[in-house]
Amino acid sequence: MNPSVITDNLIYFLVGPWPQGPLGGAALTVILTVLSAALSGVLGLVFGVLLSVLRGPWLAVLRLGLGLFRAIPVLMLIFWIYFLAPIAFGLDVPGVGSVVAALSLIGGAYLAHTVHAGIEALPRGQWAAASALGLSRRQTLWLVVAPQVLPRMAPSVVNQWIALTKDTSLAYVIGVAELSFVATQVSNRVMVYPAEIYLFVAVLYFILCAGFELAAGRLARRYRSLPA
Amino acid sequence: MFDGFLAPRYIGWMIDGLGVTLGLSALASVIALVLGFVLCVLRLSPSRPVAGLAAAWLSAFRNTPLLVQLFFWYFGVSALLPDSLMAWLNAPHRIGVEAFGAPWPPFEMLAGLLGLSLYSAAFMAEEFRAGIYSVAPGQTAAGRALGMTSTQIWISIILPQAVRIARAPLAGQVMNVVKNSSLTMAIGLAELSYAARQVETETFQAFQAFGLATLFYIGAVALIGGFSQLAWGRSSPPTGAAR
Amino acid sequence: MRLALTAITLMMTLAVAACGRNDAPQDRLAAIRQAGVLRVATFDSNPPFGSVNPTTRKIEGLDVDYAQALADKLGVKLEITPTNPANRIPLLASGKVDLVLANFTITEERAKQVDFSIPYFASGQQFIAKTGTLTSPDQLNGLRIGVDKGTVNEINLREKYPQAVLVAYDDTPFAFTALRNGNVQAISQDGPKLIGVLANAPDASGYEIPAFSISQDLIGVGIPKGQAALKTFVDTTLVELEASGQAQRIYDRWFGPDTRTPLARSYRIGESAAVAAH
Repeated sequence: MNPSVITDNLIYFLVGPWPQGPLGGAALTVILTVLSAALSGVLGLVFGVLLSVLRGPWLAVLRLGLGLFRAIPVLMLIFWIYFLAPIAFGLDVPGVGSVVAALSLIGGAYLAHTVHAGIEALPRGQWAAASALGLSRRQTLWLVVAPQVLPRMAPSVVNQWIALTKDTSLAYVIGVAELSFVATQVSNRVMVYPAEIYLFVAVLYFILCAGFELAAGRLARRYRSLPA
Repeated sequence: MFDGFLAPRYIGWMIDGLGVTLGLSALASVIALVLGFVLCVLRLSPSRPVAGLAAAWLSAFRNTPLLVQLFFWYFGVSALLPDSLMAWLNAPHRIGVEAFGAPWPPFEMLAGLLGLSLYSAAFMAEEFRAGIYSVAPGQTAAGRALGMTSTQIWISIILPQAVRIARAPLAGQVMNVVKNSSLTMAIGLAELSYAARQVETETFQAFQAFGLATLFYIGAVALIGGFSQLAWGRSSPPTGAAR
Repeated sequence: MRLALTAITLMMTLAVAACGRNDAPQDRLAAIRQAGVLRVATFDSNPPFGSVNPTTRKIEGLDVDYAQALADKLGVKLEITPTNPANRIPLLASGKVDLVLANFTITEERAKQVDFSIPYFASGQQFIAKTGTLTSPDQLNGLRIGVDKGTVNEINLREKYPQAVLVAYDDTPFAFTALRNGNVQAISQDGPKLIGVLANAPDASGYEIPAFSISQDLIGVGIPKGQAALKTFVDTTLVELEASGQAQRIYDRWFGPDTRTPLARSYRIGESAAVAAH
């Protein structure tokens, strides 16, 4: 074991070529995660609500679409968005955008079912009660359903963030200079310390993800203690 | 880039890749199920050090990316192992009885299988644990009241229900194994994604190669999902998030 | 319901607006001048062609110097995108970069997908193996050989030595790590690239590059298909760089006698391929 390979390249692991060049390394991993988490949250919410309100063929189309995004490997979707979408649709998405788009679509597809399950878990009587009080469907959704469903979803949303953090490592295949990519660059340059480098990188990811996991555990305990 | 479909030779490469993906996923799933169950039992052990170690193990494997784990197993660990052991692992051997002997797998396959199994086992363990937790605690008390021992309670009350609850989420994890197996292309394992890249290199038919690979993945995942849904009524973990 | 639909429409509009359109037939050279940026893909793990300098944390190398010379001639900023071998053609085809300068061997098959400039470098496909284990090409058929995904080296080996078992990695250093760990018995790449690998390996003494090569290759700049003005610009600039002596200076900076990878210059820009074969 040789710790100097880590200390010598620590800045590169953390921020990449920044500030002379673009931001990379662990900092870019965090940015990719935060952007994908936010966007997948929005998508999950929208599609989850749609799963609950749509009927007939549109519901089938949405289910099929979400099913596809849950079945496709992240690696494949990143390839499609980055390399094939520009050729097929003339849509030129930059590297960071491709990764965020792929992770958000997949994360959103998973979260949609969480949101949908949360909404379905509420007694149907609440809709009738709200209706009796003169609330519209949309008002019911935002004033009655959302305040009850959203807090209970928190743990699984945090789980989703952990998955997203790990999946950002796949940005490596299209040369986005996040943590895994700069790690392979360093390993390729110094050549003889792959074990040290990948262990250290694993620890960095662990710190990010275990932070989320701790938060998820706290949230779960907090909401478990609330009356259901 | 769009012209024509893949020549039969290249479709053959893709099907070979699919075979490796399915074989790897099946083996990794079985190992992960067994190991996941063992880890879950250790995690629930009354001994604090055992439970703590198991918890740390699960946390380490769940909270680091599979890609980094695969790089570690393939490039890192083999750099640490003694040369003689690596030479043995790389040399061809016969497994088991000669009559049934399969060719010794290349080191890519060993490292890929190890990485994928250990990673997936951590998630399977959590699904088992969730299943056990969802058996009402009153049932244990009821078992005691009937004079059953702890072991009897586990075997005849808790586990049958826990497995029934956990099997649909576990099927979801098997789907994840299939999808995650695509990452082993980074360590040179000739599975489906690797085959797609090979075909693209030779033919430049990127759409056809990646399109066919995507269809194969979706087909495999849909088959597992369909089976789970038909048999048990639900196909994905309730959280849907544990990848 | 309407709110949700509005949100989706809004997001899709934003996504499309943020990404912009990539219209293939436009004059790329004019677009580069207008944007003031030349986007070039180079290697990031292959000294001395392109690798990250640990002090400056920037990519540098022979290919980067040529790219910089092209950008300087245009009076625009250079933007480097790191690439591995397999991503080179997809990067060009999808319009992610304007040029590829990454030890890109000119082949007829590739020329159907992308255009190439006139050659600016020449090399041949060689091998690295543990010292004394590989002496003649006849041995190749029985070996496990590490190659890079998306290279002509791989295709070439498969055609000429069908019995060899090929394992393809994302980049040459990965393949070398696999060789070091005993997972493959030899690795194959262009000779100068292998010299760069060994020159930077802390344990180079146990390895050698056997003196035979199984191909002669010319290296060119990869250009998007059908960009005549851009190709003319790259070709004339390369000829000028040779005439002014700058091509020689770039070569000497990375392969000259005082470098870690001394290698006699076998090819000058503008020579015919037949000369380069010697």
